[in-house]
Amino acid sequence: MRIYATLVYLFLYLPIGIIALFSFSAGRSASQMQGVSVVWYGKALSNPFVIDALKTSASVALTSAVLASVFGTMAALALTGMKGRLRVLFDAMVYIAIMIPGIVIGIATLIALVTVFDSVNPWLEPLTGYRLSMGFASLTAAHVLFTMSLVIVIVRARIEAMDRSLIEASSDLGASPLATFWQVTLPLLFPAILAGFLLAFTFSFDDFIIAFFVAGSETTLPIYIFSSIRRGVTPEINAIGTMVMATSLLLLVLAQTMLRRAGTSKQ
Amino acid sequence: MAISRHKARLLLLGPAGLWYAALLVLPLAVVLVYSFGERAAAGGYAPAFTLAQYANLGSRWAAFKNTLVLAPAGTLAALLIAYPLAYFLAVRVNPKWRTALLVLVIVPFWTSILIRSYAWIYLLGGRGIPTLLADLGLGDWRLINTPFAVLVGIVYGYLPLMVFPVYVSLEKLDKRLLEAAADLGAPPWRSFLQVTLPLSLPGVATGSMLVFILLMGEYLIPQMLGGGKVFFVGNALVDLFLQSRNWAFGSAMSVTLVATMLVVVTLYMRFLKRIGAARDDIGVM
Amino acid sequence: MQDDKAPITRQKFIEELLRYRKGSVTRRHFLGVTGLGTAMAVMGGAMPLLSPRRAFAQDIGGEVVLATWPNYHDPANFDAFAAETGAAVQVNVFGSNEEMLAKLQAGGSGWDVFVPTNYTITTYVDADLIEPLDLSKLPNYDAAAFEARFADAGTVGGKLYAVPKNWGTTGMAWDSSKAKAPFTSWKEFFDVTMTDFSGRTMVHDYQLTTIGNALKYFGYSFNSIDAKELADAEKLLIDVKPHLFAITSDYQPAMRNGDAWLTMCWTGEGKQLNRDIPEIQFAVGKEGGEIWSDYYAIPKNAPHRDAAYALINYLIDPQVNAKEALAHGFPVADSRVNALLPPELLADPILHPAAELLNALEFGAAVTLTDPNRAELMARFKSA
Repeated sequence: MRIYATLVYLFLYLPIGIIALFSFSAGRSASQMQGVSVVWYGKALSNPFVIDALKTSASVALTSAVLASVFGTMAALALTGMKGRLRVLFDAMVYIAIMIPGIVIGIATLIALVTVFDSVNPWLEPLTGYRLSMGFASLTAAHVLFTMSLVIVIVRARIEAMDRSLIEASSDLGASPLATFWQVTLPLLFPAILAGFLLAFTFSFDDFIIAFFVAGSETTLPIYIFSSIRRGVTPEINAIGTMVMATSLLLLVLAQTMLRRAGTSKQ
Repeated sequence: MAISRHKARLLLLGPAGLWYAALLVLPLAVVLVYSFGERAAAGGYAPAFTLAQYANLGSRWAAFKNTLVLAPAGTLAALLIAYPLAYFLAVRVNPKWRTALLVLVIVPFWTSILIRSYAWIYLLGGRGIPTLLADLGLGDWRLINTPFAVLVGIVYGYLPLMVFPVYVSLEKLDKRLLEAAADLGAPPWRSFLQVTLPLSLPGVATGSMLVFILLMGEYLIPQMLGGGKVFFVGNALVDLFLQSRNWAFGSAMSVTLVATMLVVVTLYMRFLKRIGAARDDIGVM
Repeated sequence: MQDDKAPITRQKFIEELLRYRKGSVTRRHFLGVTGLGTAMAVMGGAMPLLSPRRAFAQDIGGEVVLATWPNYHDPANFDAFAAETGAAVQVNVFGSNEEMLAKLQAGGSGWDVFVPTNYTITTYVDADLIEPLDLSKLPNYDAAAFEARFADAGTVGGKLYAVPKNWGTTGMAWDSSKAKAPFTSWKEFFDVTMTDFSGRTMVHDYQLTTIGNALKYFGYSFNSIDAKELADAEKLLIDVKPHLFAITSDYQPAMRNGDAWLTMCWTGEGKQLNRDIPEIQFAVGKEGGEIWSDYYAIPKNAPHRDAAYALINYLIDPQVNAKEALAHGFPVADSRVNALLPPELLADPILHPAAELLNALEFGAAVTLTDPNRAELMARFKSA
């Protein structure tokens, strides 16, 4: 059993190791070690397009995760205990949004928006001097569609598992509904909302296929990596990958330590 | 009070409803309309009402076949590899190490799938594993640009998504049940089949569904590890929009893909219900 | 800075480290040689507050986006351009003209400069996707320096929309250590693929050349849109498909590491492969095939138009263009550049095939780009 697990971990980490190894190559080839150096880390960090792509990815992911958490939580609250046609309709929407492959979402959003823009721009442009086009907004909106549905599912599961008596007790004690919400419901839901937020952020930050279609002239990090791979990979890509992974690991360790500290101080 | 509660509900649902209307219903409706249209002269879409696009679907049969074979095969392979690991993590491992080992399963997930697949191009290409095999005297292997390479990429890419749900369901397993079974003289394989496996089915169902749904729309892994030879529906779709610019046909194909998925997933859910593994939620989380 | 670019071996690194420890070299030397210096310098540079932007002669913005073909530039020239103007060049690579067109048609490509092939330019003009060039912003362009057949296609309806970049042929490259005899024709290309080279051949992910060369197998025109001739080509391609290693326009990696032995190949890339690995040879098919000429053009709504003009003007500067040609190997139609190139390059048989071979080649025809049957044939072949 232990040997099996070791083998699976080896399988998981062999490619990562290869990536990290070649990121320290001094040559131009990403599949041959030609001396040891960190030049590619320097190149990656001094490449304005890498920095730009990173900024774009981070701001799309942050915006869409915030919108998805807020709207998704609102919808989940409203859907609790709701019956009737509207409920059925919403359940269907959530289900479809999660089920439909990203590639179809990307394509459908692209052709719908291009069609709408093409019919709106001819009178919008002379009037305002401004034309609609694919970009940050369309990408963020497309991500929110999927991630908001995830948040709805997660938060609703939490609401259903929640101890209703606390809320009842709160209103029995004369708290206004709003106060009950802020002081009882929201704190209880918080772990679910946070989980939804993190999932949404990760999804958006990592998404390639939707962005491939609807990002317009914006370049996200996955899109940048994809075109770099086609251009012939230099170890710069390996350096970016290694840095992203190291950063996430670092954040994780930090979060763990902080949680543990918070835990011990409470005790 | 009742009316204001109703109003509050509508207000809360407003943004989500708007999103679903503008970014789900509208785009899907446009796709449906376009699927009955034609390709414009220089590419794109020209209005028409024809079933020609649907009639042409047969020419992409191979892409559908590849997807419908490799998506379930990839799901199964991921499950077979993930299950023992999840079992090990949930039941066997020293709890002291559990969190760390679990984290180690997700960490690779944080490197872009693009970069990880790229590593496999190297590993499966002529200078990687095939050279190793040849040096060991195990013959001449060609791995890259084969369905096998795509399968490896799939399992690699989606393994964590399978490990976690299975782990969660196994973790809830009351170990005393296993001890009781052993005390009653049941051999380990019997207690596994009769106790452990049924209890883990919801996790298996969730993980498989998650991976299967993602695989049905897969584009990147076959693109990178299949060399343009192992074609999924996703690859055919990208081709139609980003090369031959046939929006009408691409729309018809999207509609067909979604319909196929709905049928397969509904059948699967029904099957799960019959064996009692389905949960109340839609099986995503 | 030059030091940083040269690869440093592990041993050298350790030697330098020891020397540095002993104090026999300065910290600066150590950092420079090992590349650590660049890394640290640019980490500083990445923080905009720490290093104010340099002032340049003319402010064209910090970025310019170029959509081009694989292995088609000297990366050092982009670095030099960035150093001179302050605009960093982002290179996006495409494998077919269809892909470029699709991206522009869908709107918002974000490109400032792209590299269309001769036969596609009229389609871009008709679809209102590119804009006429302002020659006053391209002082390095000299129409008189170009051979007409490689520059004509840039002018549509009396207006100049594109300036020539390189010309070349589309032939085949193979590993001669694996081949029984040199390849001379498209007939051999496909026949050997189905026998000795099974699983070792690559064709382009590009309808013009892949379908065109399959058409040449039967002796049809490279540009045919005749239904029966296309049906023959399709049958051949479908029969060949199980024997292919890959369908891709980025074929150099697989040729270089030995996974593939034969590929459809653009001249300059054939030259690059042959230069690095002499066993890899190149020829054009004796039945004919493609001769082409690529151009620089600026899409409508280019986000950094000034930088776009600056980049084109920089790249067509004869001195720079000569460096480009030395790096990528593709022939240049600009006589000012040829005057700067070594004579053996101008007499190279890969780049300049014999006249009788050259005469059999055809320029791509505009109709092949828009013809729905060719597009659909290619898509069917790929998903077969």
